[in-house]
Amino acid sequence: MARPDGVPKVKGEFEYSSDLHVDGMLWGATLRSPHPHASIRSIDTSEAETMAGVFAVLTHEDVPGRKVYGMEVPDQPVLAWKKIRYEGEAVALVAADHPETARRAMKKISVDYEVLEPVTDAEAAMAEDAPNLHLSGNLLRRVDVRHGDPRATADVVVTGEYEVGMQDQAFLGPESGLAVPDGEGGVDLYISTQWLHVDRDQVAESLDLSPEMVRLTLSGVGGAFGGREDLSMQIHACMLALHASRPVKMVYDREESFYGHVHRHPAKMRYEHGANTDGKLIYVRANLIFDGGAYASSSNAVCLNAATFACGPYDVPNARIESLMLYTNNPPCGAMRGFGAVQVCFAHEAQMDQLASALGMDPVELRIRNAIEPGMTFPFGQEVPYPAPVREILDRVKAMPLPEENETMGRDLRELPGGVSNATHGEGVKRGVGYAVGFKNIGFSAGFDDYSTARVSLSVEDSGPLVRVHTAAVEVGQGLVMVQAQIARTELGVENVIVETADTRIGSAGSTSASRQSYVTGGAVKQACEAVRERIFERVHEEFGEEVDEFSISGENIVVDGRVIAPLVELLGEGNIEETVEFHHRATYPLDEDGQGDVHLQYAFAAHRAVVEVDVELGLVRVVEVATAQDVGKVINPLALEGQIEGGIAQGLGLALMEEIRITDAKIQNASFTDYLIPTILDMPPVRMEILELADPESPYGLKGVGEPPTIASTPAIVAALRDATGKKLTRIPVRPEHIAGLEA
Amino acid sequence: MPVYERAELSAELKIIPPQEESSEAARRAAGESGLGREAGPETTMISGGRREVLEAMTSTIEAALDAGAKTIEVKIEAEGDAPRFGEE
Repeated sequence: MARPDGVPKVKGEFEYSSDLHVDGMLWGATLRSPHPHASIRSIDTSEAETMAGVFAVLTHEDVPGRKVYGMEVPDQPVLAWKKIRYEGEAVALVAADHPETARRAMKKISVDYEVLEPVTDAEAAMAEDAPNLHLSGNLLRRVDVRHGDPRATADVVVTGEYEVGMQDQAFLGPESGLAVPDGEGGVDLYISTQWLHVDRDQVAESLDLSPEMVRLTLSGVGGAFGGREDLSMQIHACMLALHASRPVKMVYDREESFYGHVHRHPAKMRYEHGANTDGKLIYVRANLIFDGGAYASSSNAVCLNAATFACGPYDVPNARIESLMLYTNNPPCGAMRGFGAVQVCFAHEAQMDQLASALGMDPVELRIRNAIEPGMTFPFGQEVPYPAPVREILDRVKAMPLPEENETMGRDLRELPGGVSNATHGEGVKRGVGYAVGFKNIGFSAGFDDYSTARVSLSVEDSGPLVRVHTAAVEVGQGLVMVQAQIARTELGVENVIVETADTRIGSAGSTSASRQSYVTGGAVKQACEAVRERIFERVHEEFGEEVDEFSISGENIVVDGRVIAPLVELLGEGNIEETVEFHHRATYPLDEDGQGDVHLQYAFAAHRAVVEVDVELGLVRVVEVATAQDVGKVINPLALEGQIEGGIAQGLGLALMEEIRITDAKIQNASFTDYLIPTILDMPPVRMEILELADPESPYGLKGVGEPPTIASTPAIVAALRDATGKKLTRIPVRPEHIAGLEA
Repeated sequence: MPVYERAELSAELKIIPPQEESSEAARRAAGESGLGREAGPETTMISGGRREVLEAMTSTIEAALDAGAKTIEVKIEAEGDAPRFGEE
């Protein structure tokens, strides 16, 4: 089936939140700090307030409710007072009749800063003489995992230090929204986000309004990848609209977007792996240090994820993992596709390759020998649930045919590293092959009561039976609207399904993150459809005395075994049958002090094989092919699945080779898509994929979340292939040409 | 994904009328608890597990009183459970 937003998006007709317009609206703008660490001595807005066309100029004094917000810990000022903790922190707001007027008004706001020395990385934040960025110091979170014998020894030991740079979600649609005051003190916000209800509650808190007075409606989302899970201008737009009593639209440009959302955490990781001479892992020890930036955002969860996935999908009898999250004056970091698991997968997979080399073993064979299996125990104390086909997906990627290797000399330049930039004509090009496997939790963990709400109604319209599905689940481009419609059609047998716009008129659906929506909102829609079916059974029994266990809707009739029981219209008349359900998945539990517990819901696994060609003199790379095997439980929509896998690999390739927010002295150096490079179609190789459908006995249809696993192991597989081609250690990502060419360590 | 790591309890303390000496004492005590954060020009917030927040709040209030605070407004909010989000 075609996705309803597909054609408009391809034709450029889809309305993103940046396209929102209402007559008489004002334009909001944000004055941001140019300094990463400073004290604010004073803010003078008087000149800006008197400008023609300016309707509001607001500072922290105008925040009517809670002056801070935060998904886990409310520590981030809505508008800064006294302290600036990162470059780009919001200080004041303006609403004006034109974006240019707003820009000029911001220039008239005078902020007197006392500039302070910034804390520029996580290790510096741990120094004894480092300034405390928050009252409680700079350590935001620490998670320890202690498993087995802490003093275990091994025949073969390998150590390594690994570093991951700050990746950006690089969604194409910048942050944007439209706030419309309702004239009665409340406000409607049309917004692109990932979780309407958590936005609503934080907005209401800071506006000092009851949640009912703040209504959110989802607008067209141009990608998210975690970067829209935290607030950007939600509170700001509503403050301006309520203050000016006019609708206010805010749209960040690309540069502001880099300052307006959280990024993937940079990490430094020290690892030690010990194994016996047969290649059986004896222990893993790791020290993980994450730079959380200036505010908490989702750093606590990233810290926990990294600790639990630090050993990889392997049977590790003894583990000692220390995961630390630090505050710094760098941009705040938070959710991004695969978070926590991405960073440690790069490190543990590099370690497995190093261990294979030390043992003289094939790297895939080493992984298979240590592959975790259902019934075993993860180092964090949870029993490995079925299915966990680590061995099988590794076997599959290993068995896939390798792409043909043609003579490099005389090849079409587009098939060489550097492409048509005339870098190499085939000389100095070496091919490499690398493997990696990774895993991640699906859904919310650690005791959170994770659920989604769905309302399904069945009626008969002039055009025939119609099903309406209403949830607050956010479509960010992944195809959830289509999946909801598919489930309703499958369960009720009605072709005509409308998926209504997501908003806060219905209960929470949770966040579109953690690869969870097909599971949780899919489960809610399925259960709501089942409840509607149950009501139909009851009515058939009441009206016609028929005892039926199974029926279908065929055309406009209720049919059992090909026999028409009743026209649907006779059952429903002009009314409808409507059911609202909450779908909760099974309980999870927080980790104990030793980092042990049934912490996660479901695990998804993916293995990757990358083939690269490298110009070893210039350090240029062409990824020839990425092959992958992934267990998805049940394919719900094959095309959407393919899109998720290819898109995830593209993002993994970006982290391996090009995507990094470069920061010097806590200041972003490349806040544009000219300087922050993301893969284009020219960089993206063909993807060879094999899909396993091993049903999860607990999930709806047996499905598993699919969005994040493709991103996790694709990065280390590409870097392993680079090592194979170059013989270099390559312990930092993204790998730059100078690392390959040997110009920089 | 992150909300599953949401702080179980948050306590906001505000000294009325604002008084620098007692505010500073409260901030210092909150900071020493390992749970404190600033939540406004005159407001200190303590976020974390229920028991540790309640203990830290007591010591923070005591520090503020010792420093001369006459009125302390305390707002406590349990945030760990899902129903806060999406309760209709």
